[in-house]
Amino acid sequence: MNDVCVVGTGTTEFGVREEGIVELGVTAVGRALRSCDVDREDVDALYLGNFVAGMLEGQETLAPLVADSVGLVGVPTMKTEGACASSGIAFRQAYQAIRTGIHDVVVVTGVERMTSAETSEFTRALGSAADHGTDGATGLTFPGFYGLVLDRYMHEYGATREQVAAVSVKNRRNGASNPRARFRSPVTVEDVVDSRLVADPLRLYDCCPAADGAAAVVLASADVADSYTDAPIPVLGSGHATGRSAAYRYDDLTTLEATTLAAEEAYDEANISPSDVDVVELHDCFSAAEIGDSEDLGFFEKGEGAAAVAEGRTAVDGELPINPSGGLLAKGHPVGATGIGQIYEVCLQLLGEHENQVDGAEVGLAHNLGGSGAVSTVTVLGGPSRV
Amino acid sequence: MSESPPRFPATRCADCGHLYGHEAYICRECGSETFAEAPLDGTGTVYARTTIRVPGSDQQGEEPFEVAVVDVGGEETVRVTARLEENPELGPDDPVEFVDRRDGVFYFRAA
Repeated sequence: MNDVCVVGTGTTEFGVREEGIVELGVTAVGRALRSCDVDREDVDALYLGNFVAGMLEGQETLAPLVADSVGLVGVPTMKTEGACASSGIAFRQAYQAIRTGIHDVVVVTGVERMTSAETSEFTRALGSAADHGTDGATGLTFPGFYGLVLDRYMHEYGATREQVAAVSVKNRRNGASNPRARFRSPVTVEDVVDSRLVADPLRLYDCCPAADGAAAVVLASADVADSYTDAPIPVLGSGHATGRSAAYRYDDLTTLEATTLAAEEAYDEANISPSDVDVVELHDCFSAAEIGDSEDLGFFEKGEGAAAVAEGRTAVDGELPINPSGGLLAKGHPVGATGIGQIYEVCLQLLGEHENQVDGAEVGLAHNLGGSGAVSTVTVLGGPSRV
Repeated sequence: MSESPPRFPATRCADCGHLYGHEAYICRECGSETFAEAPLDGTGTVYARTTIRVPGSDQQGEEPFEVAVVDVGGEETVRVTARLEENPELGPDDPVEFVDRRDGVFYFRAA
């Protein structure tokens, strides 16, 4: 098995953007290639994560179109889809291809364009991630799924609405100093709990905003990584797991097994435990999701996640900084781009170059989740000294 | 309610007996494709509840409406995702009863 490193990174800002979907992808890939000494002829393959370009843009065949547009002639390409985990899955596929010796250098990108869609088209496209025959038929939306999760969580663990709101407050504060974030203004607990109800008990400011954007990384076998960059970021572990297809499929709605299983695999491969992680970018599509994720990833005991965020333990200067980038709640959620966007932010932390730098970050974790807890990828990354 | 609610239309794997609320295409336990009707007691309990105030394109104009995860069946229960007929006050552990199934959706109300 070959070790794998991130040798290049690139991204667009996330937000409301004018570029077409191919241009977004090409921009991120071009920046990732320019960030390192990888020549186009060194690249063996390109994997692209995307969720709704076919439905919203009428544009498919994205992976070969992006590859051709950046001058990657002849290489194999593919698109991966797993709703909000689409590019986390792309990263996983590239990682495995290098790990097993099939490829030496693979470009991975995630790309999405959402904000120009009509609201009805947009909700229909996003709703395609739910199981239409069961949850979908009742009219359960994505905020609705997490509304159910939070309803049960508060019932079981006695968490308060104010504690949950602290997630949005923290992430909006973090996003205010991240130039890649869609939302750059802070909010208060009162703003969150007074915002309009979307799916009880979730309110508007508990929900991440849609966004357009793209992010890309260049992955290389550790044997050749030094020839492409002075500061390779080793991938210490990777996990990818399937969870439950709908709300009724959970015995315990406060635990998403896709996350716990993917995390277990990634921790085992990295030979670390959750307490070894210095910085986390996790899938906070809703405030309630961050709390559940932080427990499912093993950072807090069941039922402690809400108090932990309210007490500041996950702030940039806390014991375990979670989403110093601002997370999906502030950066925005260009669905297919989110997974690589999270890995981009973690890489900046491990290089010591982040706007909200966590002091001495040596081990970082990125957690991507798709559908109603249907699929998750977890990636553990290390600082350059850990190659 | 003095009358007992309608029976809940569960199905059972004809080979291993595993019980299903939402229909299965294939038994998760044994792989069988054969199912039999297995009506259950229509009384149930709310496991979790939300109120949808911003609906998707297929439910425009129906909002607000309640969606819940419900355990139904009396002795032996199945868990389903269902609609609650207008009662925003219902929450975890509250008793409900089956009303009917319309357009593939299970409806429950306060018991």
